[in-house]
Amino acid sequence: MTDLAEDKSMSDPQTGNRPAPPPLPENPIDVTQTHVVAEFKHDIPLTTCRIDPTGQFVFAGAEDFHVYRWSLSGDDSSKTIFAGHQSWVRSLDFSRDGNLVFTAGYDHQIGVWNAADASPKPIRMIDAHKGWVRWVRVSPDGKLLASCGNDNLIKLWSIPDGKLQQEFVGHKRYPYAAVFHPDGKRLASFDLMGVIKDWDIETGKELRSIEAKFMWGFDQKFRADMGGARDMRFSEDGKTLIVAGLTEVTNAFAGVHKPMLLLVDWEKFEHRHKWKDDAYKGMAWGVCEHPDGFLVASGAPQGGNKGMLWFLKPGEEKPFHSVQLSHCARGLDITPDKRQLAVPQFDGKLCVYQMTAPLNISGTARTS
Amino acid sequence: MRREIGCNRIDHEVSRRSFVAGSAAGAAAVGGLLTPAQAEAVKSGQKRILQVFLQGGVSQFESWDPKPGTKYGGPFRSIPTSVPGTHISELLPHTAQRMHLLSIVRSVDLKTNDHRIGRLRLEKGRTTGEFPYVGAVASKYLAPPNPPLPGYLHITTRGLEDNTNAFLGAQHAQLKLLGVNAPENLARPAGINEEAAQRRNEFRRLANERFAGRGGQPAFTEAFDSSFEMARRLMKRKSLFEQEPSAKDVERYGSHPFGVRCILARELLNNGATCVKVTHHGYDTHAENFNFHLEQLDEFDKTFCMLLDDLHDSGMLESTLVLVYSEFGRTPKLNQRYGRDHWGASFSVALGGCGIVPGAVVGSTNADGTEVAKREVRGGHLFHTYFRALGLDTSANHDITGRPVPIGDPAAAPIEELLA
Amino acid sequence: MPARRLHTIVVLTSMLIAGARFGAPTEGADFTVPPAPPLPTSIAPAAVDQSESQIGSLHDEIDRLVSAATPDFDTLAAPVSSDEEFIRRVYLDLSGTIPTSEQARTFLKDSSPAKREALIDRLLSSPQHARRMQYVFDEMLMERRVGTDVPNAEWETWLRDSFRDNKPWDQLVTEILSADGADEKLRPAAKFYLDRKFDIDLVTRDIGRVFLGVDLECAQCHDHPNIDDYLQRHYYGISAFLKRSYVFTDSKSKKKMLGEKAEGDVKFTSVFTAEEGQTDPRVMNLPGIPDPEAAKELYIAKPAGKVRGIPTYSRRMQFAKAMITADNVDFRTNIVNRLWALMMGRGLVEPLDIRHSENAPSHPEVLKLLADEFLAHKYDVRWLIHELALTTTYQRSSAAPSDSDQATKAVDAFACGLLKPLSPEQFAWSSVVATGFTTVTMRAQEAALQKAEPETAAAKQTDPLWREESLHKGLKSEVDLVVTRFAGQGGQKTSFEATADQALFQINGPNVEKWLKPQDGVLTDRLQKLDSPAEVAEELYIAVLSRLPTVDETANVTEYLDSVSDRPTAIREMTWALLSCAEFRFNH
Repeated sequence: MTDLAEDKSMSDPQTGNRPAPPPLPENPIDVTQTHVVAEFKHDIPLTTCRIDPTGQFVFAGAEDFHVYRWSLSGDDSSKTIFAGHQSWVRSLDFSRDGNLVFTAGYDHQIGVWNAADASPKPIRMIDAHKGWVRWVRVSPDGKLLASCGNDNLIKLWSIPDGKLQQEFVGHKRYPYAAVFHPDGKRLASFDLMGVIKDWDIETGKELRSIEAKFMWGFDQKFRADMGGARDMRFSEDGKTLIVAGLTEVTNAFAGVHKPMLLLVDWEKFEHRHKWKDDAYKGMAWGVCEHPDGFLVASGAPQGGNKGMLWFLKPGEEKPFHSVQLSHCARGLDITPDKRQLAVPQFDGKLCVYQMTAPLNISGTARTS
Repeated sequence: MRREIGCNRIDHEVSRRSFVAGSAAGAAAVGGLLTPAQAEAVKSGQKRILQVFLQGGVSQFESWDPKPGTKYGGPFRSIPTSVPGTHISELLPHTAQRMHLLSIVRSVDLKTNDHRIGRLRLEKGRTTGEFPYVGAVASKYLAPPNPPLPGYLHITTRGLEDNTNAFLGAQHAQLKLLGVNAPENLARPAGINEEAAQRRNEFRRLANERFAGRGGQPAFTEAFDSSFEMARRLMKRKSLFEQEPSAKDVERYGSHPFGVRCILARELLNNGATCVKVTHHGYDTHAENFNFHLEQLDEFDKTFCMLLDDLHDSGMLESTLVLVYSEFGRTPKLNQRYGRDHWGASFSVALGGCGIVPGAVVGSTNADGTEVAKREVRGGHLFHTYFRALGLDTSANHDITGRPVPIGDPAAAPIEELLA
Repeated sequence: MPARRLHTIVVLTSMLIAGARFGAPTEGADFTVPPAPPLPTSIAPAAVDQSESQIGSLHDEIDRLVSAATPDFDTLAAPVSSDEEFIRRVYLDLSGTIPTSEQARTFLKDSSPAKREALIDRLLSSPQHARRMQYVFDEMLMERRVGTDVPNAEWETWLRDSFRDNKPWDQLVTEILSADGADEKLRPAAKFYLDRKFDIDLVTRDIGRVFLGVDLECAQCHDHPNIDDYLQRHYYGISAFLKRSYVFTDSKSKKKMLGEKAEGDVKFTSVFTAEEGQTDPRVMNLPGIPDPEAAKELYIAKPAGKVRGIPTYSRRMQFAKAMITADNVDFRTNIVNRLWALMMGRGLVEPLDIRHSENAPSHPEVLKLLADEFLAHKYDVRWLIHELALTTTYQRSSAAPSDSDQATKAVDAFACGLLKPLSPEQFAWSSVVATGFTTVTMRAQEAALQKAEPETAAAKQTDPLWREESLHKGLKSEVDLVVTRFAGQGGQKTSFEATADQALFQINGPNVEKWLKPQDGVLTDRLQKLDSPAEVAEELYIAVLSRLPTVDETANVTEYLDSVSDRPTAIREMTWALLSCAEFRFNH
């Protein structure tokens, strides 16, 4: 398997997706018109989701240990099971061409799969960390896979052979997420205590470290720490590190806290903007950047089922739009064309939203 | 009342040995392992209890009764233990290696999801009413006549006020130690030396003697006297609370609060305490159940095992009943905060040591862990089991005047298959 | 009770106590001849309608019945207490603290034959009595529960005012059971409900225990297995009054209050028999109170998100009426038993909240008499306490027969005074009174007043109410600290708990040290200024134990002063010893 090559010859998998529809006139992006265009059902809560680089598939982890794939243009019948982990998968990523999918398991393993197989079997299961593997990300050049886990380590693996290349030692508590900078030379990580580190990929050295303590809480009564990133990405221009999580933990054991997004100025390595929703008790589970200059975040409330999508402009206090979800979100991803959002939910549903006005032309609505 | 002294009857010894004989360690244990401490314990007939209370309700799924890959099993895997066929959660790797010293009851149903009621039902072995806690009963019937320390010591962080001794004397109430801090006011105020303390106490004693001569309600004045006597004993043992744990102990037990509390618990047991309860807080995981159990059980597992090893190696485990319990377990169903809520209907308790068949698993829950499948056990059954294992006839009445009160709930019975 | 015989015994015993028991009397002839005991006199507050009362004077009748209940009562009976015993006891019971050295001396010197009753009257009308009752009823009603929906200070003030005004018990309970928290005037009374979070099972159980003296907890799930009198319908009858009510949070004030719905019945199923039952609201065996024909409009205010529900017909508002009706014998029986226990040291029914036919009262006639007379006197709490304080039963010495079986019998028969462990509040206040630490606090309060309002200070600081409240304010943190340490369990109890940490507080605690530190006006300072060991002994014993030392005790004090080179040290040590001895720890 080659790494970076665009593999146009990828076979059309027998996954129930229809041939690509003929191009249709498209409505412009208008988030105030955001609406559901697809709902894929599963009977077990989902844990995360990602859309592959080709925009064909959405992959989601579930609490039944499996990863599922749906064709974005298909329906429930396109559901394909990726069985091989012995615990939950909370993070996944793709090779640049989308041919491979990498899964981070709480069974201490990283799974490597052919993304498009009709009957997927793991190509390889890597004993990656002592304890949960919490996060995986593929490097911009597609040659490296970064993972982090409950042994407090960040590890770099070579693609595709899965050999360990580098270990980053420095986090004192669980690193929750690690992402490559778009320049491919650096890696950012975020741990339970809100410690953010900047690593040199070449040398494995920790270059910088700052804290975002407000995204962590110590519950005096229960003597427990709560914090960490629930999602983390770089902006496409590499200037901003965007983190989703929580703040103002008042009762860790009841999950009383507020959702937070943190924007870190990567060059200065300092907090640029903090956003929290004071009216909403809960967690921010996912965040994406949109090229039109806004962020989308997904959230889950402390109680009830009023999951949320927030649309906000960096620097502004209030979202300019929000959409109530049918249940708690567990993540968020955006299609390569930046027109659709996928949200994995606690009730097992994976919902796809379109950030435009609905098209009335027959054939565009996939909800039928 | 009738008291069976000791649980070292020959038939018990034989059965326990034959049970353990499967392992080489068990075979080696036959004969010649009596340490001086154990010899002393056997000689004195003193039995002890170590209670490790996982406050808030440890999840049975993440500890003693894992159900990986089932509907509510959660993300953790199960691992084999030193007892063939018995698996526990991967969060307890050290305990797993010592499972041959412990047994599990997997079918506890307390019929409550309330912290306080669950605690009371397990501590009192009764569903309702004013009855003494396990520790108070131990203090009353297991402590020697002039115990060197108060009979029932509880190392904890927070104070939940309970009437722990009920109708037993106040001297059997729990004495709460806030963490490893010595009880408050253990040190003499500056300016009062030993001589002055004795002198003024003698004056006090004389006054008490005169007053006691008035008769009437000796129980009151005696309880009052005994509180001063207990205070005096604690002051004499002040060093127990002051000595810094050795570097080796800290390395083995951990430097976190639970670690140093367990070191203190060991010292208290070594120095004649009858019941020591150590509370490990932080299991009420209505949110982030898995992350919190990772943290909490990581602390518990190794530390508890070090304490268990020390009891075992010194021979004291033979005369010490070890209990690991919570006021209830946690719901099978996960809530939307990755939490598990209160669940008293099907959860587990672990126990071992004095008088308990080691390596056993009693009862079971159904495939998804939503209810007891076999051998329902309630607080009363456990209470009977504890004290029968310690050699007390739980069907006998309490040693109090006025009214006959059976020690154990007459509506419950011991779990015979756990009694060595 | 033949007064003459009693008188004789009293004189003899007083001599016994003063002489044989504690050695020969010390100097100070004032105290050697015991004053004549008070002849029981009937008091009947003018305001009370006596037409329903069946007897002349309650206290005489109580004594008669107590004596008649035990065949060999006379051989068991302790004599009437000495003045020394009496003054300490009555101060503790009625004003919540021991008397000061000065108060004790004044009383002991007083030769008036009616001085005991005069003291009782004076104490009952003092601000200290209202405070004492505040403490007692706070513990009885809230059982040292920590709750914040109604601030403690408001609740305490309401209780104190109620007892200062001698609010009848039925009225006080009506206010508690009817309070919804919305009516600002009665909001403090809503603490009973609100700080139990209006948990229906908890409230039902506690109403049974606190107001009726029955613990229906087991009857929640089935007719009580061991107590035939407690039925499931009793539990659900009470719960039916409350079942429609719920906690409502006012969106503006954020205060919690009770709203109520117009519908909803209680149904219950026995876990034993699976029989279903249903009941109207009812108090124990009294008839149920069916809802009236439904009104056209079910609501005055229909419950909604921001609207507190107020039904046209409120079941909860029927509750107080049903509780205090004269037909409800349980209601008055419970409170008279509790007041008896407060004064005498043990309930006629024990435990106080488990009264049923198989746990019968020790003196049923006394209990019935108290309940009947309490009703006849319109639930007048102060009157009842006054009557109880006047009984010989109350005033007997706590010196019991030396034979332990006889002593037990005497205690069971109320033939001698019972030991009453000081409540945490009594213990705290007595400690600061005994050590004279109160004078330091009072001085500071007066100085602060002088500074704050120089014009009016002089007049204000003689006001007993101002003095009581300032002293309380100044010592609140000290008292709270002791209460936290000594209040192991909540609820009115007559059992005794003593723990090692309480003893450690006494032995090594910084508070006791502070109280003993000599400074202007405190006991250790006063003692240091006295010349002779006998004077030291006398002031020490009067101040701490409210009595004169015996000859032996004076000798002990003298020896102590001789053996310790540093006099202040010796004085501090002896004071500590008496503060820490059993005689101080109990009301005897």
